[in-house]
Amino acid sequence: MTPEAFMANMPRMQSFPSFFKYIWQRLGSMSLAIILLVVLAIASVIGTVLLQNQGQADYLQQFGPLWYWVFRSLGLFDMYHTWWFLTILGFLMLSLSACLWRNVPKMLKDMRSRKATVTDKALKHFQYSNRWQLDGVSDVAAIQAAFQKRLQGWEFRTAEEGDRHSIRADKGRWNKWGYILVHSAILVILVGGWMGAHFGFRGNMAVPEGSADNEISFLQGTQTGHKTMPFMVRCNSFFIDFYPTGAPKEFRSNLTIIDGGKEVLTSDIIVNEPLYYKGVRIYQASFGDGGSDIVLKLFHMDGSEAITTASTQVYKSWTDKDTGIVLKITDFKPYNVENLADPGQAKKFQDLGPAVEYEMRGPGLKPVKIKSFMNPFVDLNGVNHGSFMMISLTGDDADYKPVALGLDLTHPVEWKLFHAFMKHLSALSGKQSKQANLEAFRAAMNDVFGEGERPKGFQEMAMRTLQAVNMLPQLPWPILPVLSDFTQHYYTGLQLARDPGMNVVWIGSALLVFGLCIMFYMPHRKLWLIVQPKDGGMTVTLAGMVNRNHLVFNKDFHDLFTKLGDDFAGLSS
Amino acid sequence: MTATTAESGFFVALNRGRGAFLRFAAYLGAMVGIAAMAKFGAGAYEENAFLYQILSMKGLMWGGTGALAGCGLAVVASTLKPSLLDAKSARNFVPWLDGFVLMVVLAAIWALFEPAQSQISYDNQSNLFAGRVIMAMNVVFIFSAVSYIAYLFAPDSFIGRVATWSAYAGVYLGGSALLLRWHESYLFDLDIGHAPVSNLYEVFILLFCITAAIYLALEKRYQAKAMGAFVMTLVSAGVFFGVWLDSVGQADIKPLVPALQSYWMKIHVPMNFVGYGSFAVACGAGMAYLFRYRLESKGGTSKMLAIFPSLDQLDQLAYKAVAIGFPAFTLATILGAAWAAEAWGGYWSWDPKETWALIVWLIYGSYLHARVSHGWHGKALAWWAVAGFLVTVFCFLGVNMYLSGLHSYGHLS
Repeated sequence: MTPEAFMANMPRMQSFPSFFKYIWQRLGSMSLAIILLVVLAIASVIGTVLLQNQGQADYLQQFGPLWYWVFRSLGLFDMYHTWWFLTILGFLMLSLSACLWRNVPKMLKDMRSRKATVTDKALKHFQYSNRWQLDGVSDVAAIQAAFQKRLQGWEFRTAEEGDRHSIRADKGRWNKWGYILVHSAILVILVGGWMGAHFGFRGNMAVPEGSADNEISFLQGTQTGHKTMPFMVRCNSFFIDFYPTGAPKEFRSNLTIIDGGKEVLTSDIIVNEPLYYKGVRIYQASFGDGGSDIVLKLFHMDGSEAITTASTQVYKSWTDKDTGIVLKITDFKPYNVENLADPGQAKKFQDLGPAVEYEMRGPGLKPVKIKSFMNPFVDLNGVNHGSFMMISLTGDDADYKPVALGLDLTHPVEWKLFHAFMKHLSALSGKQSKQANLEAFRAAMNDVFGEGERPKGFQEMAMRTLQAVNMLPQLPWPILPVLSDFTQHYYTGLQLARDPGMNVVWIGSALLVFGLCIMFYMPHRKLWLIVQPKDGGMTVTLAGMVNRNHLVFNKDFHDLFTKLGDDFAGLSS
Repeated sequence: MTATTAESGFFVALNRGRGAFLRFAAYLGAMVGIAAMAKFGAGAYEENAFLYQILSMKGLMWGGTGALAGCGLAVVASTLKPSLLDAKSARNFVPWLDGFVLMVVLAAIWALFEPAQSQISYDNQSNLFAGRVIMAMNVVFIFSAVSYIAYLFAPDSFIGRVATWSAYAGVYLGGSALLLRWHESYLFDLDIGHAPVSNLYEVFILLFCITAAIYLALEKRYQAKAMGAFVMTLVSAGVFFGVWLDSVGQADIKPLVPALQSYWMKIHVPMNFVGYGSFAVACGAGMAYLFRYRLESKGGTSKMLAIFPSLDQLDQLAYKAVAIGFPAFTLATILGAAWAAEAWGGYWSWDPKETWALIVWLIYGSYLHARVSHGWHGKALAWWAVAGFLVTVFCFLGVNMYLSGLHSYGHLS
């Protein structure tokens, strides 16, 4: 549509001010308010369905290049900060302001002026009205007194027009303040939010135990932004406490704030108790490995029985000189609580102990991801099933498969026994009888432990060795790195935030709740009692009006009518 | 004067005037006292065994002092301004608070049936008594729904009374079971114990009780019994979901993750469910409206119509329920924001749960605008109330099931 055609469809405009007036009227209208609320609701849905602020590569993979480009152009990956979403919010603010600007003076005037008189014509349109014909009553003051006595806590105003005597009673006269408060509260909250977005910050900082940092990072649209704090935060220690069930109970960091080279404050923080310093709140947000020292034992699979060690750190790579194998240590966890029960059975959680995660690459090898556990797997009946690891051939965590190595590699003697057994088995040269295998094992035992000597629990050891004979030769790697020792260092994941608009938001929230209570629970109720002499008696009309909660008012009105009827009947007798 | 009128006269006196006002003030005072204990008491707030802190001598002192102070203030205030004695807020709130005290007593009685300490194990929680009380609640709620539906077809006052009383029984069973569950959570280990509003199963029971209680309050005031068939059917649907949750092992008491260890949880979560429960009642009223509308448009003069509230009344009832729910939900969301500001570093993170709470708020906000300022009534708004509740259900359940975010501890696993 051309702009000319568009203008032609608009109501005819005489001049700029009338166009402005037209816009102004539209802005404050209820229809626009409802449309804005619904549009805002629908727009908000998008951001909850589409995961926000993920890596761009993930989005590209998920949606393909075309849709990735479309979504990215619309800013859907960080939707709540796009210009168009903020524009909707801006329009909401404009609409609210226009509505308040237009209605507040009217409401204030309405609340102040209480016209006591009601014309007969107006009376016909009242939703609640009823009348008595009182014979033999002439005392208007007595009628008024009876009316006022029934309405404790109401405000009264009287007026006289000729012989017509009107009494007006009001309750909840300030109900309109509810509207004013609620609508201005939302403006206040939005202003507070804007202040926070413009003058505040919120970012993350990972501080390894023993070191200090002063730079936070945060997402800015699709990029990462950085900001330097005016002080340093040092993490003295990080500590996890556990429930008896093994689930984490508390994450606690001991932090020291260093400002201008001086240690000014040392304090613990936990998840629901942040630290406050110079307008910045410091929250416990996450934790992870801060570069633990790791010692791996490398079991050489070339039949040489050799065991070497590799001392390295998490996030570092280690290269084995003999084989050219590179181990990239990616993570370390001192606790690994797993459910060991069969599916469908009551859950039995058990800590499998420390584990290190590494990627292994080498000449002629397919890279794999391995999680190696330090301790052998001992099942719930106390049977030792030997050392084990989780192996993911794709590098994806979902593809981890447990692999039992057979041997309990924490005892070097089993490694020896394994080799002795292999040697005796190969000496059998093809004889595959059970008897022969047993002979070979017995010989291996004698080699390792001495003639006739048997260590405690050797039956289990025999089972393990048999499994190892089946298992270990299948592994394609020249070395088998197994976690043997560690010194753990955590990093604590802190969130640092400053929000100068937060208190404004709280004030707005308080106003909102307060206003809603006035609006909903203190309806403005108006009653009129109009007394007019007629035929030697009085015609008394009771009329009522309410802006909310008709159910209750209807009942109260009729109760009042009945009771007043009794009162008035008492007057005439 | 017959004995019955004397008795009802006694109850009327109890729930009106001075009796109600003083009791209301005492309850408020006790609550302020407990809150003050959590905030300023020796050792301040401790997640471990907060229940026993309230029930201990210390809690009694703080709460009792608060109650006495409240009473004293009430006496002074009512002497200065006698019209306060007729205050509606006291009259409306006191029966709820009395009911809560009764629930506590009931829970204390159930606690006597608990298995011996040696029989209690974290790994197998099936022998705990709360589970049985909850099972009874399930049965009673379903029975109530069936009775309410039967009442529609056979408007016999006896059936109506049975339906209402079973709904009351359900509320008391559910509420006392939750309190008992709070106590039970400490039986495993003082560290594990926590208020029973930490997982989907527990809040579901809370939701049933709040929904039924709000409905019963409206029924009592506006004689809207026909609406019960719709509200209690919604509750029963929830009951089946709860039974399913139990069957897949989601009913176990589990220790709190660190993020939930805060007194905010005890305020934020129940307040939210006052909102959800009211919206459920509004949905029931909307359904009743649409049902009656259909009956009428068919030109029927069925017997059913006689017991239904009028269309206008149903419209008002739906509004009434929203008028309870909307401020409660607003407050709950604000409390949630306050908690988020303390735990996550910002009062608003556009987390899916937060965003959906905003959507629910916007939908009911526009409902109120359409109604109050636009003068919409009737069918369109009845549909709006029903649709609004569907969105609420998604906010409550769907977000946990389909979307991930910071509220993921409500996740179905």
